[in-house]
Amino acid sequence: MKFKIRQDKIKKGLAIAGRIATKSVSLPILKNIHIKTENNFLSLSATDLEVGVKWWSLSKIGEDGETTVPLDLFSNFIGLLPGEEKVEVESDNNDLKVVCEDYKTEIKGLSADDFPIIPEVEAEKVLKIKNDKLMEGLKQVVDIPSSTKVKPEISGVYFQFKGKTLKLAATDSYRLAEKILFLEEKIKNDFSFILPQKAAKELLNIFIEEDEIEIKFDSNQVLFESSMDETDHPKIQLVSKLIEGDYPDYEAIIPEKTDTQVLLEKEEFLNKIKAASLFSGKVNEVTIDADEKEDKVLISSEDNDLGKYETEMKAKVEGEEVKISFNHRFLKDGLEQIKAAEIVFSMSGEDGPGKIVPVGNDDFLYVVMPIKNR
Amino acid sequence: MKKEKLWESILAEVQLAISPTKFNTWFKNTELMEYENGKIKIAVPNAFTKEWLKNKHNETIIEAVKSVGEKVDRVDYIIEQNTRRKKKKKKEEIKKEDNEGQMEFEEFQIDKKSNLNPKYTFENFIVGPFNELSHAAAYAVAENPGKVYNPLFIYGKVGLGKTHLLQSIGNEVKKSSKKVKYIPAQKFITGVVNGIKNGQMEHFKSKYKDIDVLIIDDIQFLSGKEKTQEEFFHTFNDLYEKNKQIILSSDRPPKSIRSLTERLRSRFEGGMIADINFPDLETRLAILKTKAQEKKFNISEEVSSYIAENIQKNIRELEGALNKLVAHHKLTGKKITKKEAEKILKNILESPTKNVSSSQITKAVSKFYDISENDLKGSSRKKEIVKPRQVAMYLLREELEYSFPFIGKKMGGKDHTTVMYSYKKIKKKLDTDEDIKEEISLIKQMMLSV
Repeated sequence: MKFKIRQDKIKKGLAIAGRIATKSVSLPILKNIHIKTENNFLSLSATDLEVGVKWWSLSKIGEDGETTVPLDLFSNFIGLLPGEEKVEVESDNNDLKVVCEDYKTEIKGLSADDFPIIPEVEAEKVLKIKNDKLMEGLKQVVDIPSSTKVKPEISGVYFQFKGKTLKLAATDSYRLAEKILFLEEKIKNDFSFILPQKAAKELLNIFIEEDEIEIKFDSNQVLFESSMDETDHPKIQLVSKLIEGDYPDYEAIIPEKTDTQVLLEKEEFLNKIKAASLFSGKVNEVTIDADEKEDKVLISSEDNDLGKYETEMKAKVEGEEVKISFNHRFLKDGLEQIKAAEIVFSMSGEDGPGKIVPVGNDDFLYVVMPIKNR
Repeated sequence: MKKEKLWESILAEVQLAISPTKFNTWFKNTELMEYENGKIKIAVPNAFTKEWLKNKHNETIIEAVKSVGEKVDRVDYIIEQNTRRKKKKKKEEIKKEDNEGQMEFEEFQIDKKSNLNPKYTFENFIVGPFNELSHAAAYAVAENPGKVYNPLFIYGKVGLGKTHLLQSIGNEVKKSSKKVKYIPAQKFITGVVNGIKNGQMEHFKSKYKDIDVLIIDDIQFLSGKEKTQEEFFHTFNDLYEKNKQIILSSDRPPKSIRSLTERLRSRFEGGMIADINFPDLETRLAILKTKAQEKKFNISEEVSSYIAENIQKNIRELEGALNKLVAHHKLTGKKITKKEAEKILKNILESPTKNVSSSQITKAVSKFYDISENDLKGSSRKKEIVKPRQVAMYLLREELEYSFPFIGKKMGGKDHTTVMYSYKKIKKKLDTDEDIKEEISLIKQMMLSV
């Protein structure tokens, strides 16, 4: 294998493909990056056996071939080379010779034969989607899933394509976030899958600069792919396993009618929750008290060792009086994903779910269960 | 050769041919699914393993099969995330996180097909004299669905374990791969209403066609819903004729459910009717201790008897009180003494009836008997109105200890002798008439929420 490439280009490729490389005791080769040249293209790939990422670039190929070298070492070295200079790379058996100006190095590698094969997705369903929308929506829900092994179905982000919408949902059984994206074209057949949280997070990191993503999937795998500007050749591919099983009927837990509705200024509410969180101790509990007769809500917390906190804030309250406690972290997580200036916080008694929606935009909602018996 | 055995010997062969790290990475969680006429199907946990085995170890596997004297000309790899071995392992990992009062979306526990929550089982149902009959009947039905008591009708007040018992039957029956469906009556009503609205009645009906056991909770909500009653009547008959088990629960016996068509009532009464009463002190103590143990909470003898003596009519409240103590203990780290318990539980132990107002009583009575408050306080001598009026007077006396003349004034200017007569009449009836007993205790519950 022999190729020439600009330093900044391969650096970028390593940053994209290399993210997924992992230290593994049982399979040390997973910390390596697989480098391959074939028909004018250089490809870099890495995997942790759940997610596989592959990156391509046009480059001047001297000789086709492949090898694997430790990612950390290789990318640290590349990073130190002068930018915008040409890097010459050549393999000698499994090892890698790198030359750039007066830098010369030889990196020990492992045979590409021992590197896992990143599975192909035999596409059953193909779909193209504007990337910025997907990234924005995914970001709003990606931190919610729980890593529980008890209910694997909820350890991922649920993608539900229906008509002209894509609904993204995530829950850890204490709270739930749903984002609705509107597609440009109608989907012929509705479908859905559950993407592991880790893959979803990588998706966000890896495709951040891309314009359009193609999604292909079969019953076990999903592939996200972007193409090169200059050719139709794929530029980045991310392959992930899908989580098996049925996603719970989450729509059933979104309350339609609630007893109390409170209109709040988001930033102020968030700040007051954060302040209250300082006194909530290890149980994370903050209490919200809303009464229709007053045009304000009371936010308070108390810890035996730390002290007490209490504050009021202006609000529009409709419906029944309610005093309810939540984990401040859960409230914060939801509020921080809302861009609107105002929110409506709906509740039903001290043990019913609370629902938070942005005012003037109904494509996002957040449902959170309270803390009871205090 | 048996397939498990064959796979074991293949693995033994493969182990010799490749390095231990590779063997552990790629052959862990694999399984032989099928072996027939020289064709082998291997279940693998993910696509990476599939690609690897197919591309790198296909020959090794074929060689290994041949070396143990079996024929093979084709190996297929199938992705199966939940192989048998993995399932076993999963069970061990299950442990409940401690979240101190944080509530969860209950719906996620629920099995999608049957609507049952797996947490309700016979094993964690505590039996005492107050629910022994219902438990025995439920158990018999679970053992032999459709054969013994059909329908089984269980009634009792809120928070005494009806839903637990009903779902236990469902979860037990489900083990024998029979089709079970659990549905709260309210959901059934919504189903009928939506079915009519969207013209999808057939679709709704079809959901109840092929089930072996139908469980409907809180059937009293069917009261006054004529169309739903008619629909339910047909569903009931269909299932009943096919010897399918029907299980119902209610907060009162069939004869006390208002506005229920005669034909439904007689069907409800056609099987076995069992009630759940209030638990006695010993059972309440037993429940508290079991629950405390589940929560790994050390409760003193003194505190548990204090709770058990003060909360008599609702197991859910019993648990709620315990939860409060657990939460307090975790917050402060202090041991809960009786004095402390008294302080913490003050709010829930204060008898709520004391806080009832006279207007709450009259409202609840008129709501329960479905008459207007004006009629209740009016002077009509109609039978449907006289009885509620007497009940209202009785409750005003009993709950608020008002004087007879004052009650007379409150009830639209009646003479105090009329009030006295009414009070005595209802009081006497209570000793003999089960229905009125039932009604009054229901009204007492309603008073708090009107």
